[in-house]
Amino acid sequence: MSGSLIILQPGNSVVTDLGRFRGPRFGLPVNGALDQFSARAANILAGNDDNAPLLEVTALDFRLKATTDILIAVTGAPLHLTVGGRECQQWEPVSVRAGETVALRQITGGLRAYLAVHGSVEAPVLLGSCAPDTVVGFGLRLAEGTELKTSRTVAPIRQPYFDLPLFRLGLTRPEFSSQAVVEVTDGPDVEEFGDTADLLYTTEYTVSARSNHIGLRLGGALPERQSGAEVLSRGVPVGAIEVPSREELLVLHRGRGVTAGYPVLAVVTSRSLDVLAQARPGHTITFRRTTVPDATAKYRAALRELENLRSTVSTVFALLGIGSQPGWQQLAPAAGT
Amino acid sequence: MPATTTPTPVEVFESGDAALRVVATSANSEANWSTVHALAEWLEAAGADGVHGAVPTYDSLLVEFDPGVTSARQVRAFVLLGMRQLDFIGAPVRAPREFSVPVVYGGEYGPDLERVAEHQQLPVEEIIALHTAKSYVIRCLGAPAGSPMMDGPDFPIPVPRLKDPRLSVPAGAVAVAGRQAVIAPAMAPGGWCVIGQTPLAVLDAGSEPLVPYVPGDLLRFRQIQPEEFAHYAGRKLEAAR
Repeated sequence: MSGSLIILQPGNSVVTDLGRFRGPRFGLPVNGALDQFSARAANILAGNDDNAPLLEVTALDFRLKATTDILIAVTGAPLHLTVGGRECQQWEPVSVRAGETVALRQITGGLRAYLAVHGSVEAPVLLGSCAPDTVVGFGLRLAEGTELKTSRTVAPIRQPYFDLPLFRLGLTRPEFSSQAVVEVTDGPDVEEFGDTADLLYTTEYTVSARSNHIGLRLGGALPERQSGAEVLSRGVPVGAIEVPSREELLVLHRGRGVTAGYPVLAVVTSRSLDVLAQARPGHTITFRRTTVPDATAKYRAALRELENLRSTVSTVFALLGIGSQPGWQQLAPAAGT
Repeated sequence: MPATTTPTPVEVFESGDAALRVVATSANSEANWSTVHALAEWLEAAGADGVHGAVPTYDSLLVEFDPGVTSARQVRAFVLLGMRQLDFIGAPVRAPREFSVPVVYGGEYGPDLERVAEHQQLPVEEIIALHTAKSYVIRCLGAPAGSPMMDGPDFPIPVPRLKDPRLSVPAGAVAVAGRQAVIAPAMAPGGWCVIGQTPLAVLDAGSEPLVPYVPGDLLRFRQIQPEEFAHYAGRKLEAAR
């Protein structure tokens, strides 16, 4: 049976997924959840595929009402989560009964929270992804009264012991700090900055309020390009660090234009892009140099952690009779019985 | 047999843990361009687990991949395999289509036209004449949203980018920078000098692949007057032949 939910207070929220990976060759940014680890974790905790559409809630308070029984999980930046007025845990599956309000309030420490619903939500798709693209004007931006359909309902889970968390799934939650350390590898154009490239590793940068999903603008001592020749436009990776002006460092994130004509000083690792996704204006950032093999190893370690979570979740869900795998109760009787 | 060209040598550079930059290194920019585009098509057609796709521009190609599935080392080997294949079969050359784009120059449509003219030390009319003088090859699709990136007009000197990029440039803006020319298919921030605007709709977000042209197609600008803008407004850009 399909379910639905209604947005009561949209704040600043969208329906998104892990990104439009086919976009860049058509000149569209990849976009998608900026904190990929939190988004994947939310979907896994809700018993979905990693890439299922989910809600990204940025900075502002958010409320929705379930019109059917659903199961949700909220991850990302620390916040105050309540369901029907009861305080609930982030990073755990949470049962929501029909008519109850889910409220995400006081997003602090980080910037973006993720809310996944078991069975996911329906959203329009462009080039294989529902991720909003602000440039072409595509995507589902949530407004008061928006109704989202989910493909499944989940009967409330009976909790045998009052006041005990229902799930202890043993995921190491990411740390959220106002003084983030971000790992980068040398960019393909690092030599163009000469000795000034080292400033990147010795300076404490401050996140500017002009930062968004396209890129973060950071104030602080700036490495300087040693030549002034115009560069032919070329594809730039997500995470590219450029010095386009004398005022700020620009760190490109998932909404970045696919091509640019500025030299790439360094590139933020896939893991650290999640850290940047949670950096609030005024937070400070220091960069640490790493290598591609080390960055890859860390990324894969995080994926393994998510895989472990997935297997724990599917075991628990199977025991509780939730999930895409039909429980024995739902199986058709064997022929002849 | 389709026409082919011989690919040029390439170099592969690390570009973070999820991308590689491939640069064609010959002295012949035309050959470099066909090489990176042929390589992009080969990578796309061959397909490899974890490789998201390739973004070819002028002399370089960005190959993006999922470091959870594959690695920079494996993707580099895949790229070099593609180059060996192209060395053997040649890089295919496709027959171009041609697009004609009406443009209102200057004024509110092209706020930087006079500045560009001043910098080039040419009258405004001469800037427009140079910009409409020839067909441009669309070299690649760029930001934002599938912009047709072209070799620019034959101006005496390269056009510097704006010191302070605009926070918003309207859809249809016709701009130049360095030795390049472009149309903005959608409203976006921009650091290029906007010399005019086309009333045609370049982008159709409801269709795939969003824009009607591919790299290698030809595009020519022609001047229209401000009072003609409304006549063309909202029409789709379509190939003339």
